[in-house]
Amino acid sequence: MNHRVVKRTLNVSVLLCLVLAASTVLGLFTGSTGQNPWEVLALITGGGDPDSVTASIIWRIRLPRVLLASMIGATLSLGGLVFQTLLRNPIAEPYVLGISGGSAVGAILGILLGLSRFPGVASFAFAGSMLTLLLVVSISSGQSSVRKDSLILAGVMVNAFCSSIIMFMVSLTRDSRLHNILFWLMGDLSITDQKQVLMLFGVLLPCFVVLFLFANSMNLLLMGEDMAAGMGVDVRLISLALLGTTSLMVSATVCHSGLLGFVGLVIPHLLRLLFGADHRVLIPACVFGGAAYLVLCDLVARTLPAHGEMPVGVVTAMIGAPLFIFLLAKSRK
Amino acid sequence: MAYPFSLIVVLFLGLSAMIPWRCEAGMLRGPGGEAVRGPDYPTRIVSLAPSITEILFSLGAGHRLAGATDLCDFPSEAILLPKVGRFPGPDLERIVNLRPDLCIALKNVNPADLLERLGTFGIPVYVVEPKDLSTTMETILELGRLLDAETRAEGLVGGMSSRVERVKSRVAKTGSRPGVFLQIGVTPIVSVGSHTFIDELITVSGGRNLAQGPVPYPRFSREQVLALQPEVIIITSMTRGLVFERVRDEWREWGSLPAVKNQRIFIVDSDLIDRPTARLAEGLEMLAGLIHPELF
Amino acid sequence: MKPSLDVRNVSLAYGRSTVLRDISFSVREGEFFIIIGPNGSGKSSLLKVIAGIARPGTGDVELFGRPLRGRSRKTLARTIAVVPQTQPMDVPFCVAEVVLMGRSPYMGLLGMESPEDLRIAENAMSFTGVSELARRKFDRLSTGERQRVLIARAICQQPRIMVLDEPTASLDLAHQVHIMELMERLRSHDGTTIIMVSHDLNLAAMYADRLLLMRSGRIISSGSPGEVLNYETLERAYGCVLLVDGNPVKNVPRITLVPAHALPPKSGG
Repeated sequence: MNHRVVKRTLNVSVLLCLVLAASTVLGLFTGSTGQNPWEVLALITGGGDPDSVTASIIWRIRLPRVLLASMIGATLSLGGLVFQTLLRNPIAEPYVLGISGGSAVGAILGILLGLSRFPGVASFAFAGSMLTLLLVVSISSGQSSVRKDSLILAGVMVNAFCSSIIMFMVSLTRDSRLHNILFWLMGDLSITDQKQVLMLFGVLLPCFVVLFLFANSMNLLLMGEDMAAGMGVDVRLISLALLGTTSLMVSATVCHSGLLGFVGLVIPHLLRLLFGADHRVLIPACVFGGAAYLVLCDLVARTLPAHGEMPVGVVTAMIGAPLFIFLLAKSRK
Repeated sequence: MAYPFSLIVVLFLGLSAMIPWRCEAGMLRGPGGEAVRGPDYPTRIVSLAPSITEILFSLGAGHRLAGATDLCDFPSEAILLPKVGRFPGPDLERIVNLRPDLCIALKNVNPADLLERLGTFGIPVYVVEPKDLSTTMETILELGRLLDAETRAEGLVGGMSSRVERVKSRVAKTGSRPGVFLQIGVTPIVSVGSHTFIDELITVSGGRNLAQGPVPYPRFSREQVLALQPEVIIITSMTRGLVFERVRDEWREWGSLPAVKNQRIFIVDSDLIDRPTARLAEGLEMLAGLIHPELF
Repeated sequence: MKPSLDVRNVSLAYGRSTVLRDISFSVREGEFFIIIGPNGSGKSSLLKVIAGIARPGTGDVELFGRPLRGRSRKTLARTIAVVPQTQPMDVPFCVAEVVLMGRSPYMGLLGMESPEDLRIAENAMSFTGVSELARRKFDRLSTGERQRVLIARAICQQPRIMVLDEPTASLDLAHQVHIMELMERLRSHDGTTIIMVSHDLNLAAMYADRLLLMRSGRIISSGSPGEVLNYETLERAYGCVLLVDGNPVKNVPRITLVPAHALPPKSGG
């Protein structure tokens, strides 16, 4: 068994895992209230007072939030990678097939009906994204293969249409719900608890595993569908499996956190630049690296403004957009 | 193609109608739906709305507040309170960090998710729902009972009540109901529709709210306002920091408006007419004075 | 002996346009078989059917006596390897990685290579003369170099049939000959059946054992170059004036295009 790829995959994974661990710990130390760092340290290392307010805040507010951020970061990055390969388009991102539009419409509907974030708004968001996905796929369905260009076009159109619906709904809304809606549209990691985090993990982990198993097939897909087929890849089956798995996991995260842009677009390119294009290395890299990235962005969102917090989506955009331009410039050389 | 989609949508709406509303006024139920008893004499109260902070201070319970929102600014002592974040969406961590023994919130304004999560931390939450003058007075009485300040509350409400009655009786003497356009937004021009505090105050103080209608904060074009021919134009300072003079001068260019001809363009403090507190009575009197100067 | 490829009554339609009409022919093992014909005659579609990439509407295809239908993509890929017409763009891999992909039909799901796989890949690269390019980025190579890399990749599949779609189009002359020589060596060395689509009639004439001439989805003629490449048949297929004489290098026909101004003027004009 040749160890070249295995070694590389392990090295990259371990490295990024360490980065993720460090970011997570940092995330536990930071928040909107100044907790005594020694107390926090004691709690993390197993000691400390489990009944104190600090313990409450660390384990029941900060930790679920950091875990949610890492899972969403992993999912969005991985989703961006898969769509960029599947659609052969470097600016594809996880929302490109109408997922953002559909889930936003569903979520806003849920918020307007006064449902709680979980499970009410979340299930509406999920249903919305699945419906738009169905719509996009049926609009663009071709003959033997999943037709890429028409998929992207259909996705863009559906997203645009949903945007108009969203703007219409927003214009009708009164103050209190408007606040909720806007925060959802800009990405909001604040509403979560341990139970939700566990449920989400249960959905995401199998998706990550499935996608990793398809890593080599994705390498082959980059050579073109005919050539991949000629080398033994069942292109249609794998495309559908990739599409379905990725849409499922992205929808699951969107309904917990709202829309977070630029993560799925930028992180795959960054990691490709650092570690090469082999999906067997990139998939774990996106999982751990994407997780660390969002944990850090959330950290910034929580600590930067003087009062309250910035929506995470603002931070990911502010960091992601210049980063993307930089990567673009680099790739030109 | 459209049929299955619309069917699914209808199904979802139907299902959602069956989901019970989880937040009634009063003590919020616990995470499992169980009834929760608040502390007998809460001394570390966190207020999640500026109006609630005001009411608590006016009930003499200001010293029992442990925290308030960033927007809690009246009375001035409230500004010194530890802050728990923005209104209507404060920060959970900051609230928990203050170790409150009671939180008081506004129904359908503070996010229900947040209030539920407070429950999971063992923090009792009391929810009030002042929608108009009478329910505001009920809220004051409610909070008075909750905080052992009934006498104070009754006095406050009594005072409010008599002031409101005084305005009502004087207004009843005349049949004139001048058309009032109350502007809360400058660009675009936004007014207030029915079922808002302001609408009720305008009506009670003997005016006709020209923006009445189902949309709570309707937008108007300049033309539409001109067509309404308002006799009184009131601009509120909710849009803080803007140059009110500029807005007034813009209206003055339209000499055909009765409000301009009779020089009845006014600026008022929005907190007096928009916050469900005891100061609503003051706001009412002020509006009455502007709309019917001959009576007050 | 069973033919390596047997095509019987194959028809294929995309939507409402029929691309292949009742195609039947067979190819012997170790044959150098070249399909020629004008654009739109269905040559590429026929290749896709042969390789199992496109499913024919009617008809059967058999490889070494076993039907194509129902075989898994992976087992097929061990018998037949495809070099498509257009080279892929934006391939972020280096040459060695591209060539190793050819071993996919023999590797597990995650495609972890064994030393044997690496050895086969190295051999394939030296066979096509791209060993020095192993660490270079695929995108940075010239068209001819890329073609040799793609062929090395196909060789790694250890196919019994090699299918190439216009492999010499857009290559410079040296590379054109080089590619054809590679195929001839594969054929004579390993007994690989070569099935190729070509637009270059003279190259086809010099290398092919048998030709298949197509037009509008039908077979016009098949047989040795001498049999197929005669003036009447070619004029019917291509619809232009051609001069057919003998190739001085090998005993096969030579086709020369005749530009309009070189024709003798029509009499009575």
